[in-house]
Amino acid sequence: MGNKRKASHIASDGVSTDEAFQPLLKEVYKGKKLTDKINTAEDKWNLLPAFLKVKGLVKQHLDSFNYFVDTDLKKIIKANELVLSDVDPEFYLKYLDIRVGCKSSTSTAKGLSKEVNLVPHDCRLRDLTYSAPIYVDVEYTRGRKIIVHRDLEIGRMPIMLRSNKCLLDGIDDKKMAKYDECPLDPGGYFIVNGTEKVILVQEQLSKNRIIVEADEKKGIVQASVTSSTHERKSKTYVITKNDKIYLKHNSISEDVPIVIILKAAGITSDLEILQLVCGNDPNYQDLFAINFEEAAKLEIFTQQQALHYVGKRVKTIRRAGAPKLSQLQEGIEAIATTIIAHITVSDLQFREKALYIAMMTRRVLMTMENPKMVDDRDYVGNKRLELAGQLMSLLFEDLFKKFNSDFKANIDKILKKPSRASEFDALLSINIHSNNITMGMNRAISTGNWSLKRFKMERAGVTHVLSRLSYISALGMMTRISSQFEKSRKVSGPRALQPSQFGMLCTSDTPEGEACGLVKNLALMTHITTDDEEEPIKRLCFILGCEDILEVDSASLHAKGNYGIYLNGTLIGTTRFPAKFVGDFRNLRRTGKISAFISIYTNSHQSAVHIATDGGRICRPLIIVDKNNVSKVKAKHLLKLQRDEWAFDDFLKHGLVEYLDVNEENDSLIAIYERDLSDSTKSNITHLEVEPFTVLGAVAGLIPYPHHNQSPRNTYQCAMGKQAIGAIGYNQFRRIDTLLYLMVYPQQPMVKTKTIELIDYDKLPAGQNATVAVMSYSGYDIEDALVLNKASVDRGFGRCQVLRKNTITLKRYPNHTKDILSGMRVDENNEPIPPHSSLGPDGLGEVGMKLENGQVYVNKCVPTNAGETVLNGPGANEQPAESHRETPAYYKGPEPSYVDQVMMSVSDNDQALIKVLLRQTRRPELGDKFSSRHGQKGVCGIIVQQEDLPFNDDGISPDIIMNPHGFPSRMTVGKMIELISGKAGVLNGTLEYGTCFGGSDLQDMSEILVQNGFNYSGKDMLYSGITGECLQAYIFFGPIYYQKLKHMVLDKMHARARGPRAVLTRQPTEGRSRDGGLRLGEMERDCVIAYGASQLLLERLMLSSDAFEVDVCNKCGLMGHNNWCTSCNSSEHVIKMTIPYAAKLLFQELISMNIAPRLRLGDVF
Amino acid sequence: MDIDKDTESGPAITIRSSERDHVNFVLKNVDLAVANSVRRTMMAEVPTLAIDLVEIDVNTSVLADEFIAHRLGLIPLVSDSIDELSYSRDCTCDQYCNKCSVKLELAAKCDTDSTMNIYASDLAKFQNGSTLGDPVIRDAQGKGSLICKLRKHQELRITCIAKKGIAKEHAKWSPCSAVGFEYDPWNKLKHTDYWYEESVEDEWPKSENCEWEEAPDPEAPFDYNARANNFYVDIETIGSLSPNDVFVKSLETLQLKLAGISVELNKDTVESSNAESGGLTTYGRNGGETPEINYGGSYGGSSWS
Repeated sequence: MGNKRKASHIASDGVSTDEAFQPLLKEVYKGKKLTDKINTAEDKWNLLPAFLKVKGLVKQHLDSFNYFVDTDLKKIIKANELVLSDVDPEFYLKYLDIRVGCKSSTSTAKGLSKEVNLVPHDCRLRDLTYSAPIYVDVEYTRGRKIIVHRDLEIGRMPIMLRSNKCLLDGIDDKKMAKYDECPLDPGGYFIVNGTEKVILVQEQLSKNRIIVEADEKKGIVQASVTSSTHERKSKTYVITKNDKIYLKHNSISEDVPIVIILKAAGITSDLEILQLVCGNDPNYQDLFAINFEEAAKLEIFTQQQALHYVGKRVKTIRRAGAPKLSQLQEGIEAIATTIIAHITVSDLQFREKALYIAMMTRRVLMTMENPKMVDDRDYVGNKRLELAGQLMSLLFEDLFKKFNSDFKANIDKILKKPSRASEFDALLSINIHSNNITMGMNRAISTGNWSLKRFKMERAGVTHVLSRLSYISALGMMTRISSQFEKSRKVSGPRALQPSQFGMLCTSDTPEGEACGLVKNLALMTHITTDDEEEPIKRLCFILGCEDILEVDSASLHAKGNYGIYLNGTLIGTTRFPAKFVGDFRNLRRTGKISAFISIYTNSHQSAVHIATDGGRICRPLIIVDKNNVSKVKAKHLLKLQRDEWAFDDFLKHGLVEYLDVNEENDSLIAIYERDLSDSTKSNITHLEVEPFTVLGAVAGLIPYPHHNQSPRNTYQCAMGKQAIGAIGYNQFRRIDTLLYLMVYPQQPMVKTKTIELIDYDKLPAGQNATVAVMSYSGYDIEDALVLNKASVDRGFGRCQVLRKNTITLKRYPNHTKDILSGMRVDENNEPIPPHSSLGPDGLGEVGMKLENGQVYVNKCVPTNAGETVLNGPGANEQPAESHRETPAYYKGPEPSYVDQVMMSVSDNDQALIKVLLRQTRRPELGDKFSSRHGQKGVCGIIVQQEDLPFNDDGISPDIIMNPHGFPSRMTVGKMIELISGKAGVLNGTLEYGTCFGGSDLQDMSEILVQNGFNYSGKDMLYSGITGECLQAYIFFGPIYYQKLKHMVLDKMHARARGPRAVLTRQPTEGRSRDGGLRLGEMERDCVIAYGASQLLLERLMLSSDAFEVDVCNKCGLMGHNNWCTSCNSSEHVIKMTIPYAAKLLFQELISMNIAPRLRLGDVF
Repeated sequence: MDIDKDTESGPAITIRSSERDHVNFVLKNVDLAVANSVRRTMMAEVPTLAIDLVEIDVNTSVLADEFIAHRLGLIPLVSDSIDELSYSRDCTCDQYCNKCSVKLELAAKCDTDSTMNIYASDLAKFQNGSTLGDPVIRDAQGKGSLICKLRKHQELRITCIAKKGIAKEHAKWSPCSAVGFEYDPWNKLKHTDYWYEESVEDEWPKSENCEWEEAPDPEAPFDYNARANNFYVDIETIGSLSPNDVFVKSLETLQLKLAGISVELNKDTVESSNAESGGLTTYGRNGGETPEINYGGSYGGSSWS
């Protein structure tokens, strides 16, 4: 052990250049040298970087978007391919194909065919949208001819960065640098009007699946299914009411007895109904029997009668012009299309649907008999995640339908005209509406309002501005999942940590407060599936020995040992050998014959085999363990991985690793460590975890030794890590963001984790390694305040830059006048006047100049006659005389800023766009907020001279002193271990690891400390800097990674004596930004009243706020003015008095409501 | 000063090792307070030269002006003859002059395709007839510390004004990087309570300085009259001053400050006797540097003046 450590001195060689540093790092990164022996138990974690290489952290977004532009768009076109005219039966237009970003002529095989004409960074700077044209191929009639037109642009589609339609797809770092893009930027967001927008992952209850719930108090059981098709979305319920079972649907006015529905669906025999619902089980039969009574009472025996019954109760919303249907037709229509809409009925074959309803009924019966058979809504397996691609596709289909109907209306209008001069070309009118698609997409993404007409869906807050506070905050945003639940409701269920979340969703990363538990984050190794074809899987099932449900005898359907096979929730067949069936199916998946993301699992309670191919399921890769309890991944495979011969997909292909979704995962027995495999008590282990630390997400992965911390501390750190100031991206100096915080000297943490390396946090860090002494000092450290070393601050500790953007547009007005810039004004000595001293001759702030409060950085001038229209007056053609008024942009702030960058460009609508970036460099000051990586935040309480600080016998003094009271109640043991590991690393010249459930061993670290002449506990003997005497107590002393948070005193400090007042109430304004007053609130007022300080009260509430002198008439009690009472027409009784303006306002408002408040004045003494 | 003379009672120094930027010695026969005062003065109050004012003509590098200015300030400059320079605030000149500052210039432009490194050695000093103000260079290549990197067509044109100052104002003026300080390695005085689980001897590693003192006799009774006498000091400088200079100058500074106190104290006795009827206090009268910490008056006039 000893010589191994001495071999590599990395950190000690501080001056070593990057070039020398890189390969050394790499060696550590790979974990081992190529010659080292491979140990499967330890090195299987190498699968994780391999996974991230192919899947990445934001891969789910990219996959989803790619699926949308490549596959889903074509499906949408196919579903809406024809546009016909009501006027001319000859006319048709048919969409043949659709493409995004490339024309059909350019070969798509080559990557060169991308037609995004702007680089993403230009879009960011110029406030444009990063988009690509959408091309369609159409076939239509012109006169008698059929014309095929290729590459017709129907609009522009915003492009997700790094998707396969993006310029940045598959290019190397050098090219990235050329495009001003950071190679570490994850992508997965859109740029709309210059702002980066993320479509958050939306969590929903799964569609087209039966969910059974019970209310035990009311004795209600209900099975519901949300059917979702391209056209509509509807929910069907099977519920119990007084122990009888009914079917409920929104479009049926009352609940229909289940027997009637089943009869309407063609199962007329009561025996068959009983067989389909209850099978042979006498308990179920007893429970269900009552339902036949009701149908019999209503005298409904045949399908015809049942359909009439249903048809009578259908709520019809008919479009104008549609023919009226008879009751029978209504009934057929309802059964065929409305109820359980996701099962399509062809040729009036209702049997499949009848079986589905029977299944729902059976599930209700099962729950009535045994209340434990309910489903859990919060179970992650019952959730589906909706990603950018799916949301975009919903939006696009809506817009495309609108586009087509507009187009159709337009053609009809033209075709209606009896005589046309020329032959009608439909293409000419198609282009009119192309803006609708572009605008619709842009608007939805930039506002976040998803309003879909056909689903009557109105969802706000779907998109968010990508937070660029730090690299981690951007990354954390890409993995965020928002839930549809209301935030205000007080329910614990959806907020609670679900056991099924393990490995799929991060257990630590959730906000505190109202969104707690509703906003989640993906774990490190999760993947979200996209839709897969259902039909081939169905055929495969029949080949594997599944008996087709349409051919199965009703009597034997629920026979014992007979398992139903459900494909995406729909019963497609049965099998008597579920184990064999599932085994065969899995083998096919493991050999790559079918998609790796199709899941299959057995549910023995329901005697069911479920197969899922739908999109939005959360899944993760696991190592397969064979029947002899041996991991399939062997040393030789890992060796291949290390030599770059194999990628992650090869492991999939060879059946060594597979993806499991939550449902299948819960049907497996997963070993966490390889050593668990040899445990003889568990003989049926099916899988082995790749790495246990993947239960955490990217943000929680930054915490060293999180498994030693109290769990809320990790959650706090997840929130704070996003506020830490650090490096944002390699292109950070090229960015012009509204607000950008950058650290001057960020350092990678001494104690890293494997996650840190995987997400490249070590390349874009946000914090510094501070030497911390855990002791009490000076009394300015109570309540978590920190003591900072002045010398450290002088040398650059915690120093940061704040860059703020200011945008100025030069407008053009309808009368041909426009805003201009005018140069600086000079005084008699030809020197610029003081407010203009930072301006250049062009009227723009010069780069590098200092701006004090009140100085001008852009001297904009607005024409004085901008309001005049050109049409006014006779001299309309004359150019209006140019006269301008200065409306300069002033710098406002307590501290001066410097001009960092000035950008001039032209935005979309030909207006000049000026962006001025102002910079401040700040050193830490009293009140600035800092935090370690363990949810331990604190503000700087005092900055102390280095010579006054304690020091050890080597003369090392701390950068930060932290009060020990921070530890006992917080129980952040991880922070203590971080200190010891960090100290060992410093002494040894290595970077140590604090990976969750692993990391450098505390005992090893202590050994290093002892070898270097330190106490093993990390405690040192310190001397007082003031007296030189050594401190009585030992001090816990060593490096801890500290983050500087964005909350700084300079942005918050505020005081006011006199200042602006609100117009209406004449009270002081509110808030720092308006230079507002400090409110003496109700409770403070109560205190003053209780104390009896009436003069103080008067001063605070009136004199210092909105004192107003009024003329009160003591006769009528109303207010007059100018010493005159208007109601008494006299000045006899008018008295001047001071009241709050707000009170005067109240009186006047009351008067306006016909209430007369009268003031009666009397003598005080 | 009696330090040099190895008398029984007077202070004595034993130099154990000495290098160009580093010295390790034992300070004997002084009080703990004296030893610590010397340590503090060495760290904070020995004047050196450092870049204080930066005039930026051209900066097209990726780093912001303040960033580079900060880096320049931290570059150690040779300050051996710092006494020739006066503090800028005491100087009669308007802003700065040759008597209170040293001017350095940095002009660099990258014309090559590869990145160009700008080092402290690229700082050009306006000739002032001595080594005062030369950047300290200690690496084998003779480059000094790295200031900035330039890409093709990037340029730096900077004038720096170095001024005299002390580390109390800013750490860049500190001549020391660390001052090691230890006394009583055996903890005979029981100033500290070692934390241990089983045994102090096994769990707390021995200091190297234990060899310089006799191991305590475990049987011997605790001597509550004993005082710390031997101080193991280790000075490491950043190169602006030699360790010897740092030590000597710190003593000078200390002496000067103590003299100030002594004068004030004497004045105090005069004044307080004069102003019995609510007279003046001397607090803050001096106007210059008021020491933040009161060292206690007893050192005032007696043995050190």
